[in-house]
Amino acid sequence: MVRGFLRGAGSVQGSWLVSGVVTGACLIGALAVSGGGSKAYTAYSLAVHKTKAIPAFARKYGLACSACHTAWPELNAFGQRFRDNGYQLMNDRDSPIWQNPSYIPVTFRITPNWHRESATKQPVDAVPGNPATTGPGTLTVSGFDLSGMDLWTAGTLYKNISFVLLPSSDNTGAFHFEAAFVRFDNLWNSHWINFKVGKFELDNLVSEKRFLFLSGNGGAYQAYHFGPVTDTLGFTNFGRGENSYTRYGIAVLSNTDGAVGLPASQSYDTYLTFSHAIDAGALGVERLGAYAYIGRRPTYFQTSGGAPIPGTGLGNKSFYQVGVAGDFFFGDLELLPLFLHANDNAYLATSTAGNVALPAGARDAKWNAAFLEAHYYINPQLVFTGRYETVRMSQQADPALPSDLGNIDAYSGGVRWYPIMFSRAGLSWHTEVSAVRTRGSAFAATDGVWTSSVFSGLDFDF
Amino acid sequence: MRPKTPVAAWVSGVVILLSAVGARPGVAQESHIGTLTGHAAAGKKVYRRYCILCHGADGDGTGENAMWIDPKPRDFTLAVFKCRSTPTGTLPTDQDLFDAMTRGFVTTNMPQWLPLTHQNRADAVAYIKTFSPKWKTLKPGTPITIPPEPVATIESILRGRGLFQKMECWKCHGPAGHGDGPSAATLTDNKDRPIPPYNFSTGSRFKCGVTNQDLYRVFMTGLDGTPMPSFADDIKPAEGWDLVHFLRTMQPLNTPEAAIWKTWLASHAQELKPIGPPGTGQ
Amino acid sequence: MRTVHISLLAITVLGTAAMMVPGVPPAGGTISGKVTYTGTAPKMKPIDMAKEPNCVTQHAGAPVMTENVVTGPGNALRWVLIYVSAGDQGSAPATETVRLDQKGCQYIPHVLVVQPNQPLDIYNDDPHSHNIHPLAKVNPEWNKSQPAGAPPIHAKWEKPEFIPVKCNVHPWMHGWHLVIATAHYAVSGEDGAFSLQGLPPGKYTVTAWQEQFGTQTQDVTISGNETKTINFVFKATPY
Repeated sequence: MVRGFLRGAGSVQGSWLVSGVVTGACLIGALAVSGGGSKAYTAYSLAVHKTKAIPAFARKYGLACSACHTAWPELNAFGQRFRDNGYQLMNDRDSPIWQNPSYIPVTFRITPNWHRESATKQPVDAVPGNPATTGPGTLTVSGFDLSGMDLWTAGTLYKNISFVLLPSSDNTGAFHFEAAFVRFDNLWNSHWINFKVGKFELDNLVSEKRFLFLSGNGGAYQAYHFGPVTDTLGFTNFGRGENSYTRYGIAVLSNTDGAVGLPASQSYDTYLTFSHAIDAGALGVERLGAYAYIGRRPTYFQTSGGAPIPGTGLGNKSFYQVGVAGDFFFGDLELLPLFLHANDNAYLATSTAGNVALPAGARDAKWNAAFLEAHYYINPQLVFTGRYETVRMSQQADPALPSDLGNIDAYSGGVRWYPIMFSRAGLSWHTEVSAVRTRGSAFAATDGVWTSSVFSGLDFDF
Repeated sequence: MRPKTPVAAWVSGVVILLSAVGARPGVAQESHIGTLTGHAAAGKKVYRRYCILCHGADGDGTGENAMWIDPKPRDFTLAVFKCRSTPTGTLPTDQDLFDAMTRGFVTTNMPQWLPLTHQNRADAVAYIKTFSPKWKTLKPGTPITIPPEPVATIESILRGRGLFQKMECWKCHGPAGHGDGPSAATLTDNKDRPIPPYNFSTGSRFKCGVTNQDLYRVFMTGLDGTPMPSFADDIKPAEGWDLVHFLRTMQPLNTPEAAIWKTWLASHAQELKPIGPPGTGQ
Repeated sequence: MRTVHISLLAITVLGTAAMMVPGVPPAGGTISGKVTYTGTAPKMKPIDMAKEPNCVTQHAGAPVMTENVVTGPGNALRWVLIYVSAGDQGSAPATETVRLDQKGCQYIPHVLVVQPNQPLDIYNDDPHSHNIHPLAKVNPEWNKSQPAGAPPIHAKWEKPEFIPVKCNVHPWMHGWHLVIATAHYAVSGEDGAFSLQGLPPGKYTVTAWQEQFGTQTQDVTISGNETKTINFVFKATPY
């Protein structure tokens, strides 16, 4: 059911539902994570916080945030290796028996902020209270707000056995588990064999959890939100070379996009990823990778008294996404490009049950997505960011729809300033603007709907 | 008409400001590691990101974190380093510093900086050299010559055991290498901080490298700044390998030396005189 | 035992002679005097050498005391370095070798003075190993082991510096290598007396250094062959 909702980008229901879905990009993430949850999130609240910066590690090992992060939460090559080692420095002092017993591997992160959200071509009554006067209008709301909160614990249960537990709340304090897994690291003394079981973010080269954007319209990758390329439940085997320059991963995942409670069917998805980095001397480390996600989703369920029974999904139809991504440094300038091609089976794209005929003319939905993100690090405590993203439908599921319905162009830019940078806690003053244009409104499939955010907040963790 | 901006005043003001905040004018220090040349100016940025919190803005080992960690971070202003290929009392080569940074120091808070690019590490080495005037006036020592390692034999191990007794290693390291010799408890480093001698029975990796060659260098160059002296004047190069082979038998690792020793001990243990003070059977 | 005492005496005499005539002609002015203290000097403690039974035997009947404040009759202070710290018009570099002995787990002499690059030979007269670890900061710090019967270690110090020296195996062993760039110096004996001779006319700053009480300076002008007397009085505290 979640899957079907997500496929709305190419669906026949070209109503305000489409714009509602595409404007709140992180809205979709929140829904995926909460398992098609019952809360009515709006595009105007930053529902889910993404975090992967953990001062607890800094406290444990006595390193500054800047040692592992280009600008937290994004990891640099050293931090990547620390993470790949299972949050271990491999200095023979990683086992928890060496820790001071008063050390608690817990970090909290939240961002109190002020933000302004705006959307054009929204259905607004010209005369308040009179439903006969609904027409396109621009809505703007602003004010002080909270982000969600992450309560992250991670570390070692024992040498080479690591864990993560990440209860995460939205800005009202309603919790879910963003990540929870156990890792067996460096099996048979080899960096190439590690095993992780639980709920985790897929090992994308460009991570959405550890990136530098927080606003309503900029705080998620468009490319990742028409596909399950973030939180997943399952197990993965992965490995890397001595210094994490070469990395690969193979994952087998439930087909629920990380939703718990076995809501879907018993088919499994596969994820494969590979990347390689080179030492480019004074320029830095240059990384290039590719990934593929191949999955199946049910299109209808067994019913009891007419109501669908969760977990009994039938009529599985397949989809895939393949992409290439890079992380390139030119001294203090970092570029992160990504290109993705995706294909949804016609049944999924038109939300048709597998045991009935497809609508006439229905086809597979295909689209391409790309983004180019740039960071400029003035110094370890000041970074400027910018990103352009695009999603282009290359084949609509319903041939009657305009070919560019659902196309997206997204622009984001911001600055993060870290007034303190040491090993106990972190603080960043984060300011960002973002704007997304989507093709297709509640009123006309050819309308361009603009949603934009202005955000400024104090992002802190300890 | 706008008045001319006093450019000279601005420039000199900036220079004074930079000097005040610790920029060293004329920092043209370089490092040479293989074909790589590192530059101190670029190394300063690397240092700020990765090193400053422990080693301090002045490189004297008093960074913010230093008080919470043990062993303490290296004080670069003294230009005294443990892990060298050069004789005691001489500066290490750039390669020595590069290797130490890349390898890290196990059981301490100094990580392996292997994921940094070679250039970054070379630049950091060049910057570290700006903290002590010794790098301008003294040349690094000449790396010691290490003869090729002979095959480990029981005779070599027994000779090494004799050296362990004669050179009185046991006074600090203990008769069985447990770090519990009579002088172990009072050892202090060059800053009068207590420091324990290596305990072979843990089998943990040596701070200056894991190979037999690294172990050879430990006692032939000494670990400057610590109580561990150089035995280069007292142990001949070939004898050094005998000592290496014996030292390996004290570690609970699967080394060829340990295997030879175990086999020999099974039938000859009663022939051994105990290690320790004279008069205890020596 | 007697041979040990005689050789020690010989060393001391030779050493003192070397100190008094470091290659400068005896003509010229003299600065002499005494170093004393007021107040209560800290009590020196007996050293427990039980960790090295050889040394316990060597000192049987005459326990060795710590040496950081050694006093003599009339509140005299021993082991004080008195030297010309400013005004020295230079002299030929000293070439004779200075000798340091490690005997009975002690450094003899406790305070040893050399000029920059003056040869220094370090002997181990004990039947067991010592390691010599001069804690130099301006000069390179080194640490060498010296087993019983090993040949002397040849060392030299290039730059002026007051260098504490220790042995890690025997933690009670403390000594000093004082590297000064003047030939005009003396180390006070048990009577606290010193004499700097052969000084050409000029204005001199004379510094007295005691390892626990620090330094004091006085200015002296020499115009001919006269003897000027100056005394140094250190304020002692019990700890």
